[in-house]
Amino acid sequence: MDAQRPAILAQDLVKRFGDFTAVNGVSFEVQPGQIFGFLGPNGAGKTTTIRMILGLLKPTAGRAEVLGLPVAQAAAQIRPRVGYMSQRFSLYNDLTVRQNLTFFGRAYGLSDAELAERMRQALDMAGLAGREHVRTKDLSGGWRQRLALSAAVLHRPQVLFLDEPTAGVDPVSRRAFWDMLYSLAAEGVTVLVTTHYMDEAEHCQRLAFIQRGRLTACGSPEEIKRSLMPGPVLELAPADAGAALQALRRAQQAGRLPPAEIELYGSRLHVVAPEAHRLRRPIARALKAAGLDPGPMDLIEPSLEDVFIASMR
Amino acid sequence: MSTRRILAVARKEIHHILRDRATLFLVLFTPTALLLLMAYALTVDLKHVPIAVLDYDRSPISRRFVAQITAGQDLDLYAQVGSYDEIERLLVQGSIKAALILDPAFARDLYALRGMPMQVIIDGTEPESGAFAVDHIARRAETFVTQALAAQLQARGLPAETLRSIDLRVRTWYNPDLKPKNDVIPGLISMVLGMPALSVALALAHEREHGTLEQLLATPIGRAELLLGKILPYIAVGLINVALIPALAIFWFRIPFHGSFPLFFALSAVFLFAILALGTLVGVFMRTQAAALALSFLVIFFPGFFLTGIFFPLASMPEEVRLEVLGLPGTHYAIITRGIFLPGVGLEVLWPYAVFLLVLGTAFTAVAALFFRKKLG
Ligand SMILES: Nc1ncnc2c1ncn2[C@@H]1O[C@H](COP(=O)(O)OP(=O)(O)O)[C@@H](O)[C@H]1O
Ligand SMILES: [Mg+2]
Repeated sequence: MDAQRPAILAQDLVKRFGDFTAVNGVSFEVQPGQIFGFLGPNGAGKTTTIRMILGLLKPTAGRAEVLGLPVAQAAAQIRPRVGYMSQRFSLYNDLTVRQNLTFFGRAYGLSDAELAERMRQALDMAGLAGREHVRTKDLSGGWRQRLALSAAVLHRPQVLFLDEPTAGVDPVSRRAFWDMLYSLAAEGVTVLVTTHYMDEAEHCQRLAFIQRGRLTACGSPEEIKRSLMPGPVLELAPADAGAALQALRRAQQAGRLPPAEIELYGSRLHVVAPEAHRLRRPIARALKAAGLDPGPMDLIEPSLEDVFIASMR
Repeated sequence: MSTRRILAVARKEIHHILRDRATLFLVLFTPTALLLLMAYALTVDLKHVPIAVLDYDRSPISRRFVAQITAGQDLDLYAQVGSYDEIERLLVQGSIKAALILDPAFARDLYALRGMPMQVIIDGTEPESGAFAVDHIARRAETFVTQALAAQLQARGLPAETLRSIDLRVRTWYNPDLKPKNDVIPGLISMVLGMPALSVALALAHEREHGTLEQLLATPIGRAELLLGKILPYIAVGLINVALIPALAIFWFRIPFHGSFPLFFALSAVFLFAILALGTLVGVFMRTQAAALALSFLVIFFPGFFLTGIFFPLASMPEEVRLEVLGLPGTHYAIITRGIFLPGVGLEVLWPYAVFLLVLGTAFTAVAALFFRKKLG
């Protein structure tokens, strides 16, 4: 494959369902070996975009290429070279670990000898060696996701599409999952992954934000922060963060505080606004009026989550 | 088309079927159980139909008439009643299926050869039992009148031997015993063998509902490969039933089998292909298992029931309806099973039906594959 050529190319992809536009002119490129994060709130159009790139859904307009091949014409050549973990759990719950892996291996045309070899590797990778005969539904969420990933890479795809692979999985399992992703990327596999978890997004080399069908930002995590987030974030550490949040929201409704996104982060509050430092004084006033201690206030570098929230306004 | 991929799907499907004993049992024996149930429900030979008698005449003649009609196994005298109200109560309770009311002038009119004033009330919710009772009473009445007439002729010294009831002799070809089950059960077989088609429709809808279909479509497995892979194991399931069900029909219901077993097996396989292809079509169009179930009943069983000539002869169907019946695999298979079971006809007569079934199956598979992708999401 040409080194200059992107592993995934989306060009002005549009998908309309009736008169509802789910994806509206989405373009991006993913370079070979990259981990590319595709972020956006529920219903933003992530799954629809992936389906179009995989050739499962016909775009209303625009085109996509995978590994330099046009999806519309060359789906049959592309299929064996890509792996996909769909948004919902993609394996058969009523089959055993081994039956699932066997089926997907055969579906991708592996010979029985190859299959035996890959099966062993897959079981090691997912940490499921010795549990081949367990029904998939009896595995916990984290194990299932690792098994699904192993099944999706059994045929050694060059490009991997993962649609919210870690949704609803505990943090420890999420870390184990990402370790698997890193080692795949280190082997040269291109990964496109959608996620809700902003800490995961920080692990991607490139990100795209999508909202109501449109890309709002695309670039490295740093570039995104710079483009979407002109200034720093104001972090508050009040004595009672919950009460403070309520007091500030009431003040906003009453018009005593200019509009800003205020979110709870553990025991702290993040105030996200174009010129957040100017809000120090009105916030302190609003909290004192409610009989609360404002506590220390600091300007900090925005996290991706702050950026995400800011971009969603 | 890759056989390896078709077999991959087929083997996975077998794993689904074998995953627990209950599923396996259900898939294997539902058609047989259904046949047993329906055969008993639909072919009960009418006997011992309970009736009530309201005799306003209370003469020796009227009593003799009642005794005659309730002799034998056909009608049972449930009760002698005194009023219409009682008849109504018994009918509503379901204790009787019909009531016979004899007029106060019953014996007098019979003597005078003016007729037999009586009335029969039947339960319209069970017209078959009612019609059976009416028919039986009418035939007995005819005999009774003839006897009464003969007695009078004799009493007046006239020859009575010339007086005979109509002697109607009916000869039935192909089913000389005129046992309804001989006719119904071969038709039923074509219906209950539609069960595997329901299973395949549900299996497809299940994949869509659980999101695994999307995963499948992203693999190199083609749409036709997927459908054929799904159909194959159910053809095997169906053939196990094809072996079981005729055995049941022959040894349990004692229906004669005049044809060739290998031919029956081969034509059944062709039918299974067609009906399963129809099942995949249902599975492709319906998004949920519940919807697939409903549509299966509509297109697989319901028409089978009413239109395939199982209970009503095809010739009595209106033209427009019959054309549509031609599109249903069950119609052709019902003809095939009846043909092989009863008169024992062979391929020389049945080949057009087999060819049509093959064409239908191929067409259903093609349409299902065509519509598959458009329906994602
Ligand atoms: N087949 C479909 N028909 C109609 N609307 C759809 C269909 N698939 C998705 N949508 C709509 O398109 C929008 C984007 O959906 P999706 O791509 O699944 O979002 P995301 O994956 O980002 O949560 C949603 O509003 C969804 O309801
Ligand atoms: Mg989604």
